[in-house]
Amino acid sequence: MKNRPLWLNLVLLVVLAVMPLLLSSYGLKLGSEVLIMAIFVMSLGLIIGFAGLVSLGHAAFFGAGAYTVTLIGDHLNNTYVLLLAAILVSGILAFISGLLFIRSSGAYFLMITLAFGQMLYAIAYKMEDITGGVDGKPVLATFDLGFGAIDSRLTFYYVTAVAFAASYFLLRVFISSPLGKSVRGIKENESRMTALGYNTRNYKLVVYTLSGMMAGFAGGLYSYFNEYISPDLLNWMFSGQALIMVIVGGVGTLLGPAIGAGFFVILQNYISSYTERWPIIMGLIFVAIVLYGRGGIIHIVSLIWNLLFRRKNRDQNMQHKEGTGIDSSKSGTSV
Amino acid sequence: MSVTTLTMHLLNGLAYGMLLFMIAAGLSIIFGLMNVVNLAHGTFYLAGVYIAYYFIGRQFGFWLSMLLSIIVVAILGVLMEKLLLERVYGKELEQVLLTFGLSFIFADVVKWIWGTSPLTLPVPSGLDVSADLGFMIFPAYRIFVILVGCMLAVLLWYMENKTRVGAMIRAGVDDRDMLSALGINIKVVFTCIFAFGAGLAGLSGVLGGPIMGMYVGIDSEILISSLVIVVIGGLGTWKGAFIGAIMVGVVDTLGRVLFPSFTMAMIFAIMIVVLLIKPNGLFGRGAHA
Repeated sequence: MKNRPLWLNLVLLVVLAVMPLLLSSYGLKLGSEVLIMAIFVMSLGLIIGFAGLVSLGHAAFFGAGAYTVTLIGDHLNNTYVLLLAAILVSGILAFISGLLFIRSSGAYFLMITLAFGQMLYAIAYKMEDITGGVDGKPVLATFDLGFGAIDSRLTFYYVTAVAFAASYFLLRVFISSPLGKSVRGIKENESRMTALGYNTRNYKLVVYTLSGMMAGFAGGLYSYFNEYISPDLLNWMFSGQALIMVIVGGVGTLLGPAIGAGFFVILQNYISSYTERWPIIMGLIFVAIVLYGRGGIIHIVSLIWNLLFRRKNRDQNMQHKEGTGIDSSKSGTSV
Repeated sequence: MSVTTLTMHLLNGLAYGMLLFMIAAGLSIIFGLMNVVNLAHGTFYLAGVYIAYYFIGRQFGFWLSMLLSIIVVAILGVLMEKLLLERVYGKELEQVLLTFGLSFIFADVVKWIWGTSPLTLPVPSGLDVSADLGFMIFPAYRIFVILVGCMLAVLLWYMENKTRVGAMIRAGVDDRDMLSALGINIKVVFTCIFAFGAGLAGLSGVLGGPIMGMYVGIDSEILISSLVIVVIGGLGTWKGAFIGAIMVGVVDTLGRVLFPSFTMAMIFAIMIVVLLIKPNGLFGRGAHA
């Protein structure tokens, strides 16, 4: 593994900071949505790309966070407490479910997480007195970090930008920590790590819980952003969309999933304003990516980058030729 | 709840379980043999019921429409397998995304053509009566569905255990490579099984039409229940699908009456308990889990 140059992180921060200068008011709103989704999709990218746990129920944690903020927010209007509660609730949920699910792997894990997400969806859908059922629920809590309610789009954009940057750096630190490295070792060769004396399940559980907490955080932010929540946030359709965002962006990288989220949210906004047939178009994109995608946007970008600047990095180039990179996302490509 | 009401709910649950069995059986075999988690399997159910609706609207009659619908859905399955799935065998994540994308497309196409308001199929004439079971009255059509389900279970059991095709499938679930090493054209087997599973799901859709109605979204409901059944029953076995489907069907139906908010949670709890005790499902073979 190479260490990413520091300047790349700085570029990221600068881009986030100057973006509002280029954006309209609507663009700012979209930007906030992209960043919130990016946090969520990054959390999913973490368990898929670094722990090899492919979940189709990750929306459960996002939705749990959103519902926590909304439901407790009816009684207690303190942003810090609410966001912490969102992280805590989804973290506990992820820990308990992970404890039960991580015994399984592959397709079984996928089906179980899917059923788990649908169970929460069904509960939110049916418990109308509390959750508002299918009609959803308005979010009453206001976003206030102690300096008065934040209601301008620009300020909220910066809030989400800071949240995104913080989540990103947290994950960056996590994956280069000894713990993170062990997790990647497990993904690459679980039996070897077991033989070396690692309790692989516990390591996976830690990552899964961390990922759930981050998804819950994104969900909490989302309820402030959208001011309305519905059971759709827990639905497997949403989980599936997050999954495709990870793939579109690039599995096994940190920023890739975030870029995938941006690509998808913007595309959906753009296409939805022209046609109601977004699901068909999205489905076709799924199929096209599976059949023709080669490891996601981030791989294409870095490929072009390498071509333009002729940076000789044979390892990386070798990898681009190795199929789609979805299953074979080994080390070496951590943008 | 009186004994009669309970029996009625049990029978309703059994009828629902039979519909689920027809889907889960295909899903389970496709998963066990081809190692494909087909998230578009609920789509076959959806296609089955809407295509039958189309033909019935054109005065083809229930039974002919059913036959035509099954054939169309099976062809759809063949096309899906040959044109798309075949290119991603062995790549789990790609298969999931591919079939997931297809289910999006088909659900939206159905919405486009038939709109979002729920429709229903008419109960075929002759079966649109209530049967007197001696101690209670019960719709004849639901009894018919239960009988079809049981007959199908026997047929599939016979096929699985007593015929050459069944032996091939059992061998394939245990060791795919060995099956092709024995000179069996595994590609043809895959296509046939996929088409068969699709056709079964289509049949389930048509039979379920008069009971459950049809609406966009029923495909994912059915799919999730079937996935739970496959996990409970174990993959690649029709017996597992049968027992699992009856369990889920009955619990789901009783749950809707007794504790509507937590039906799904109940079913899920059963799945967790089964997984904790038997990670491969009740009747699962092999070490896939």
